[in-house]
Amino acid sequence: MKKTILTLALLGLLVFSFAETLVIKGSNTIFPVTQLWIEEMKTMYPDLTITLEGAGSSTGISALFNGTTDIANSSRWLKAEEIKQMGQEGKYFIPIVLGYDGIAIIVNPELPIDNISLENLAAIYTGKITRWNQLDPNLPNERIVVYSRNSASGTYETFVEKVLKGERMAPTVQLLESTQAEITSVARNKYAIAYTGIGYVTNDVKVLTVNGIQPTKINILNSVYPISRPLFMFVDATNGYPETGKVKQFITFGLSKRGQELVEQAGYIAAYGF
Amino acid sequence: MNRRNVKDKINQGLITIVAFIGIFALIGLFIFIINESIPALTQVGAEIFTSIYWYPTYNPPEYGMLAMIIGSLILTGFSSLLVLPLGYIIAFFLYDYANPTEQTVIKSTIDLLSGIPTVIIGSFLFIYVSPIMMKLGAWSSGNLLLAAIGLSILSLPYAASLMQESLSSVDVSLKEAALAMGASRFTAGFKIVSKKALPGLLNATILTVNRIIGETIVVLMVAGGAAIIPRSLWDPVRPLTAVIASEMGEVAVGSLHYSALFTAGLILLTISFVLTLLSRRITRSGSS
Repeated sequence: MKKTILTLALLGLLVFSFAETLVIKGSNTIFPVTQLWIEEMKTMYPDLTITLEGAGSSTGISALFNGTTDIANSSRWLKAEEIKQMGQEGKYFIPIVLGYDGIAIIVNPELPIDNISLENLAAIYTGKITRWNQLDPNLPNERIVVYSRNSASGTYETFVEKVLKGERMAPTVQLLESTQAEITSVARNKYAIAYTGIGYVTNDVKVLTVNGIQPTKINILNSVYPISRPLFMFVDATNGYPETGKVKQFITFGLSKRGQELVEQAGYIAAYGF
Repeated sequence: MNRRNVKDKINQGLITIVAFIGIFALIGLFIFIINESIPALTQVGAEIFTSIYWYPTYNPPEYGMLAMIIGSLILTGFSSLLVLPLGYIIAFFLYDYANPTEQTVIKSTIDLLSGIPTVIIGSFLFIYVSPIMMKLGAWSSGNLLLAAIGLSILSLPYAASLMQESLSSVDVSLKEAALAMGASRFTAGFKIVSKKALPGLLNATILTVNRIIGETIVVLMVAGGAAIIPRSLWDPVRPLTAVIASEMGEVAVGSLHYSALFTAGLILLTISFVLTLLSRRITRSGSS
């Protein structure tokens, strides 16, 4: 009896040590996409265990440097110092574009405005313009109620980088905790403006064109729309492209037809097969 | 030593251990928070308390909390202004006027209210009350008044039951004497019993204020979230607790931003500590 238990325990240990664990860390923006992929992949590869952690793009990339993750999700390109560090440590990371993210500028449907320039948008968010009629005399003489996501959001980071060009957001901007709260607030307030990921827009709000450009799929994919960005997975390819194994399995699934459908389901634009 | 003595000793030992665990946890918490906030206090310094610009993620970063500290204080003050008189009225009614049935109904309502998760109160205000406020002229769907209402709802049970307790603890003979002297029921309760119960009432006040200042979820959901010094009830605010809750999840552990959030916690803890000390002093001076 004792022997059987021991054998079973050993066998269990053996199975456990052979079970592959794939570690993924990084951007919170990409987190929902990766989560959908993992859920679907679990049915395809039951013995593949995946741990996912959303801790921010920078954290993901630094984890790739010290080898504590297999894939680093990043909603931004590598910084100059990261590229330098790669050279110093003799490492080579490759980017894989998994999808695109576009930020829609939303206002209340009752507000008679359809387009906004990038400069005016920056002026509103930095507090230089505070009333709608400063933008256009035909607009009502009312205070602009400006909403933003909180600074923990990846969308916020992109917005600050692409629209404000690093300038500070005015303290009068109201930081909300969720995209849903933004949409509800704009739907409720005639003089509000906010920005959200393109996938979250509902019929309760109106999407503005920016510099006259519609945030359509094609415009975001080609980055013609000014507030769009590619989303990356970074993989350590110091010893060559991972041709087999768990990392390869994951990437292949992510870029497959189904994987790309899930990118759209998470609210982003699929990079391939449109 | 007989069996009874042994039992007694064991019980005493257990109680001492549990009490010490509590004390150590409290001290440990203090040390932890102070320790984590030291980098921000030394590297940022007075800017934390003098600047209204909170830009922890920009380059160069700025860590001014003045607007948020003032926001916290104004919100707490205003909510206290709403809830304390209301709490006293309920307590007074329960003490002096309510018949047993009314007492049971009110008491269980209060108990039930204290059990509602704050996130539910926040959602309710955001979904149902905020649109009404917009119709009444609010320019921002989350604002000071809405947050104050939320804080009042969730601290009302504290205020009412603590105040009722302190009224009830006054010796009945005092009230009876007052009534025998010809004082009306209202005068006896309001002027004489309440005066005697004043230390207890003040204590209840401080505990309620303490509860309000530390509340997080409601202010995160309905206070508006702009770190400005509010000038009207319709203005949004961003209290310290909301900042901590909103940003703690994303900061790199050990960074200056992380440390600054702990400094915000330290400020709240200090306020709360001072209030508690004050309440102890009041209670003591009342009993002597």
